Amino acid sequence: MSGGAADGYGVSVSTWLAPRTPVTPTLTEAARGHGPFRSLARLGVEGCFVGATDAPWMLGVRAPDRSRAILVVTIDGELAVAVRDVVPSGMAVVRDARQDDADEIAAACLPWPWMVVGSAVSLTPALSLLLRERPVLTFWLGCAADALPGHARIFERPAALLDAVRRSCAAHVGGMRLAPGSGVELGDGTLLRGATLESLVAAYPGGFALPTRSFRAAAGVLARHDAGWTAVRGGDARMTLAPVPAEQRR
Amino acid sequence: MRANPEVLILEDDAETLDELQSHFTRKRFHPLGARSASRALSLLEHNRYSSRPVLAIIDWDLGKAPDRTASSGDVLSRLARELRECPVIVYSQNIDAFNVRSQIQRSHPRALLHDKRDGDASLLERIDRMLDRTVGDLRIHDGTVVVHLPTLEQHHHREAIRLVVHHPDIVTFHSDTATKAVRRFGEWLQSHGSAVRLVSHGNRKYRISVTATEAAEPGIET
Repeated sequence: MSGGAADGYGVSVSTWLAPRTPVTPTLTEAARGHGPFRSLARLGVEGCFVGATDAPWMLGVRAPDRSRAILVVTIDGELAVAVRDVVPSGMAVVRDARQDDADEIAAACLPWPWMVVGSAVSLTPALSLLLRERPVLTFWLGCAADALPGHARIFERPAALLDAVRRSCAAHVGGMRLAPGSGVELGDGTLLRGATLESLVAAYPGGFALPTRSFRAAAGVLARHDAGWTAVRGGDARMTLAPVPAEQRR
Repeated sequence: MRANPEVLILEDDAETLDELQSHFTRKRFHPLGARSASRALSLLEHNRYSSRPVLAIIDWDLGKAPDRTASSGDVLSRLARELRECPVIVYSQNIDAFNVRSQIQRSHPRALLHDKRDGDASLLERIDRMLDRTVGDLRIHDGTVVVHLPTLEQHHHREAIRLVVHHPDIVTFHSDTATKAVRRFGEWLQSHGSAVRLVSHGNRKYRISVTATEAAEPGIET
């Protein structure tokens, strides 16, 4: 589906279906203990995996990775393609999920996805719990799914959502910015690690409707490096970044 | 003595495969060519302990492959799981179709996409830009050497090449030997007063970064 340039949805993709990737018997072969996937076969009879040979668990999108991840859960993957086009190179890995494998793919984003983008799907219980317990930027296109956290942002148009993704990747707060791949870079080049801090920087001036305890580690890192900012509960009752008053700084 | 870095090429058309292999041989890479996905998987399997390709070129549509027991998606998934640090270029006639792009991204979320309709020359040009690239005051020469341009000093380790090819991405290194080589490269950069520095992200993850003043100079790719 292609959007016209006028609505800012500048993604050039066509609606016609290309030939599907052939289903291969390679995993069946691996299950028997032979073939190129043998090394990936799990332990079972004769030291190899025997049983289910569905290919989905092999998909690279399910491989665990500690890089900053944007999990896009949709019916057909079109939005994931569009999101990938707006994310600067090296900034984050876009993981294209469907409702039935979103839990597994979310679990492969370590420690948790930096951002979850969704459209026209319902949240699985596990994903819903994740969004309510961790500071995950949550962007939704169209009708909001049930059980989205209070800090989720709902967009009516793809262009607005894609712009928000772009802005989050380029977030810049008090000399702090997201480093490529993971972490937050201070003005002097110091790299601070921490998924919570990344989320706080990207969400600024917004925040997260989560308990204060979830942000203690991030506040500690900022204090240790005398960054001049800390995590506080803002006027909208959400945890956000705020400058440390001069008299409280070291 | 040094081993030339390997490049994995999966291309079902024999003529195009020959052309790509010759191109990489001229540039002193060691091409691992395959006309079928099962052959590519076999090459990865047999080379897994001895080498890790610095680049993979994958043709998505393998209609002319002599053996169709595996697909290009299988190779991409394998690369994503086992050789995450290897940059991958996937090219296809249908790269504009969102379902093709989605399938590729699900097989390998980091794969770079290239339109086959732009021709082989366009692919080779893009590969050359990746492999003969300049980052700050460093340049890769012939795919085998990192040259510090102000002093023309050379660093030969393949992990250094991998870091420069990957810039600005993070690279995960999978052995103590590779990690030590990366740290030596970091020391080498410092000792030469390079504008490029090594950044550690922990857990054997590293990237290189160009200092702001150097990056701001015109004509310097970062």
